[in-house]
Amino acid sequence: MASPQPARPSFSRNNSSQHVNGATGTGHDRKPSLSSFPPQSRSVSQMSHHGPAHRSRSPQPPQAEPDRTSNLSSKGKTASTGTGFSSQHSSLSAAGVTRQYNNAIGRPRRKLRSQYPRGSSENHVEYILVASFDIDRGPVMEHQYPVAITGDEHMLAELMLPDQAHARNQDWTIFFLHKDSSREEDEAERQAKEERRRRRKRRLDREQGIIHESDDEDDDLDDDDWDDDESTDDDDDEPEGGEGPPLVYVLNLVNTKHDKTVKRGAVVKAMAICTRHPFLHIYKPLLLLALEEYFKSPVPETLSMLFDAVNEMDLSLMPKLSLLERHLLQMSNNKDLFVEKFEQMIQMRISEDRDGLADQPFDASRSPPRRPGIFRHGTKAHLEGHSTYAVPRDTHEFESRVMYKGIPIPIKVPTAIMPETVGDFSLIKLIQNFSEPHAKSPHPFPLHAHLTTNGPNTHPIIVLVNGLLTQKRVIFLGHNMPSGEVAEAVLAACALASGGILRGFTRHAFPYTDLTKVDDLLRVPGFIAGVTNPTFEHHPEWWDVLCDLPSGRIKISSRIEQPAITEGLVYFQQQNPSCASLVHQSHSNSAMDLTGDQAFMADILKSIATRAGERVIRAKWRDWVLKLTRIAAAFEESVYGASALYIGSDEHDNYPHTTNSTGHGYVWADDEKKSRELAGNVTRIEGWRNTRSYYSFIQDVAQLYTIRPLKGLDLHHMHDRLRTQRLTAMQSREIYLTFAKYVRSYDEICLLLSVAPEAHAGLFYIALGLFHKDREVRVKTADLLERISQHEAGQHWWRGLSRFEKLAYDRIKKEVQMAEAQTGMGGLTIMPGSSEDPMRRISREG
Amino acid sequence: MGNVLSLGFMAKLFGTKEVRVLMLGLDAAGKTTILYKLKLQDHVTTIPTVGFNVETVTLRNIKFNIWDVGGQDKIRPLWRHYYSGTQGLIFVVDSADHARIDEARVELHRIINDREMKDCLLLVFANKQDIAGAMTPAEVTEKLQLNKLKDRIYAVQPTIAIDKAGLQEGFNWLSDNMKAAQKQ
Repeated sequence: MASPQPARPSFSRNNSSQHVNGATGTGHDRKPSLSSFPPQSRSVSQMSHHGPAHRSRSPQPPQAEPDRTSNLSSKGKTASTGTGFSSQHSSLSAAGVTRQYNNAIGRPRRKLRSQYPRGSSENHVEYILVASFDIDRGPVMEHQYPVAITGDEHMLAELMLPDQAHARNQDWTIFFLHKDSSREEDEAERQAKEERRRRRKRRLDREQGIIHESDDEDDDLDDDDWDDDESTDDDDDEPEGGEGPPLVYVLNLVNTKHDKTVKRGAVVKAMAICTRHPFLHIYKPLLLLALEEYFKSPVPETLSMLFDAVNEMDLSLMPKLSLLERHLLQMSNNKDLFVEKFEQMIQMRISEDRDGLADQPFDASRSPPRRPGIFRHGTKAHLEGHSTYAVPRDTHEFESRVMYKGIPIPIKVPTAIMPETVGDFSLIKLIQNFSEPHAKSPHPFPLHAHLTTNGPNTHPIIVLVNGLLTQKRVIFLGHNMPSGEVAEAVLAACALASGGILRGFTRHAFPYTDLTKVDDLLRVPGFIAGVTNPTFEHHPEWWDVLCDLPSGRIKISSRIEQPAITEGLVYFQQQNPSCASLVHQSHSNSAMDLTGDQAFMADILKSIATRAGERVIRAKWRDWVLKLTRIAAAFEESVYGASALYIGSDEHDNYPHTTNSTGHGYVWADDEKKSRELAGNVTRIEGWRNTRSYYSFIQDVAQLYTIRPLKGLDLHHMHDRLRTQRLTAMQSREIYLTFAKYVRSYDEICLLLSVAPEAHAGLFYIALGLFHKDREVRVKTADLLERISQHEAGQHWWRGLSRFEKLAYDRIKKEVQMAEAQTGMGGLTIMPGSSEDPMRRISREG
Repeated sequence: MGNVLSLGFMAKLFGTKEVRVLMLGLDAAGKTTILYKLKLQDHVTTIPTVGFNVETVTLRNIKFNIWDVGGQDKIRPLWRHYYSGTQGLIFVVDSADHARIDEARVELHRIINDREMKDCLLLVFANKQDIAGAMTPAEVTEKLQLNKLKDRIYAVQPTIAIDKAGLQEGFNWLSDNMKAAQKQ
């Protein structure tokens, strides 16, 4: 049985000032303890420790400092390519278009880094395990490589041999291990930070004229360190979610081979890969080959061969994206978005290779690179072997390969992974599975304030998501199904409730578990578990919501605890007497769709029916979760007078010339709609408050706030007002001018793009400013659009504008030019020979 | 609960009812073989059960929902999770395994002393009667100390699972006694 780990306040891992007495360990003698259950005693109060408080270093101000920018523009003028026009170009450099980015806008000030740099001590895969079903003893562990995982070996073996493995030839399972990060790792991390701090200090000293003897040899490193504060420290760069040490994900393959020569006629063996990568599904083909190999030669060398092969996989050319960039990439279907970053990674590598200084960072000012051809993966030119390096066909995936026994196995790694996305699952499959039986003959649910937010006929998927949000115990049961399919459903459910925004689901998920772990499972509040044993259904005291996969039915337990009436609910009813009855409507058979969930589910199912694709569905769910958090913030503000779900409402002072009307938060068309929607959501929001995902969201909001550009300006709110409200010319003028005034740097434009995703209307509402009756708004909006068009991601949004809008843009630019020519000021020059793309025509003078 | 009501109604109309039977015993006693002999009327070569098997078999108008749970000693502690709602326990004994009959006795008494199993019928299959030197039903009764049981309806049925011998008789006893139990 898994023994609970001792409670450790999880901020200790990131806290560099913590002193740890421990020898520096080398890879193989690390023996972390692992358990398949999260530490029991980590309470909410401990979790709330790691707020922004321990991020002692203050972030950079969002505005670019002029001297840095000019310094960079001479350095970073790496000519990019015309891939944006079409992904069909086989040779990117052959397009011959040289685009000069305005570096304050076009590219981030952060230096581009690899997600998995070369020479990193961190392995892709940490352990390989083999277990078998012993006919006398049950599940036993056979081998572990490179070292034995401490902890309960028998528990691991049980997880590796899922129920009814004897009934099928092959099965996959996934489970997670909770690791207590070892002292050695803490020590190594501390030293690395120390080293960075020392370098940074020396650089500062030198700027102030203090000279150190050893400066010469470190020159190159130092030159490169100007942006240290922002991006050197992996864990300080952007909040990763402070729930504790990262999980170890285990992908397990079990095979049953019938063999007349052995006692009782069969051999059941399982092999597992333990990794920190949430994209563990990429290892499936390798496990298939390696387990086959192990049946032939059941020796530790078979494990070590796989271990070495997977750890030699090269992902060093995969660029590291910021949180905002990852959002943009995930929301976009564009296969070229951020392709420039992949090219830049390759250019850096090429120049490293040529200099023979593998560990030195790229510095274009020293030797302007002669560009060899960089080709798109899989294209003719690439296949003809003109180049070692290639840009991926789709920037959402990085293509690499693993050499196993001389066979190259292609691997595709997702470039942008949002929190709570583990493995390969399909939201579409999950939604369809529980929607079809409901559509044919709905089974009314017994009422529960947190779960049945649309009455007894609430859509089962909404019941499921409500259950996850309000931290109910959820079980996915797949009797006679491969456990891999059950695990997939659990992972999909986690992603559904998270939307890539909320956390705390995967950490308490057990994608596959069985009766042997039930006692431990029941000690985890609000677990999400996948099982294949129908016995679980006979124990309604074990769960609150049961999702039966084969029948596609969701059940609410007869033993579920009914929620108490909360203060928030009472306050809301007192404040809104007209809506008081509506809150109770959710308990009766109401046809009113106060939450909008019925319409939302109808839209989701329509999108699925029209084959909109997984990415679209995930983006829609993300919007749903985001909306819920924004409604919750509005609810807390109106009922409790304050909310920790939104920060920045008191920062308007930083933005002179904006008045209160810019505001923040979710936007409703009118107050009537607002009260009704709040009424529909009260019970669910009250149920969400005080859950893990609620508290971690508050932490995330606080952490994100420290790195967010344009603190105090709610671009989302302003954009929503343009989108949904009937505004006077003065009101819209203010919003347009605020956009134009403050959205300038790379990150600020990313933020604006993220509230105007291509899938909705893109820049449509912003471009409406080109037709505003006030000339200043038109001119400033044109300037803003120009900046967006020069932005690495924004160029794709620009391209989505209609011809009509682009013509208006050209006309306004021409007017400005004429006016300036008359007054003799001369700011922008428009080159003759106009084509569609303004970036190619407009260059900055001076 | 609408579903349960309608099921009960159907059962009265057609005279079928569903009972949950749990089949336990030491590893390699023949549990899975018995299950598939009943279900498929055919002999299947079984391999050790990882976890459990469950099948529904209709005999004499009773739907038996039979649970066959793996018997390796490490996984025996899991048996208790299957107790609730069980109306009949079939305990399968390898009659030829003299060495482990005491182990079987200990396990059997542990099961039926559980509170959740206090009202359930006990049917012992003295299996593998075809093997020379197998214990007779009387010997099995004695070795398992069944005569010590109080307030328990039980029977010991000699079986040869691979030939299906004795299985039908055993289930006839179960269904007779289920009916009797229902009438009371």
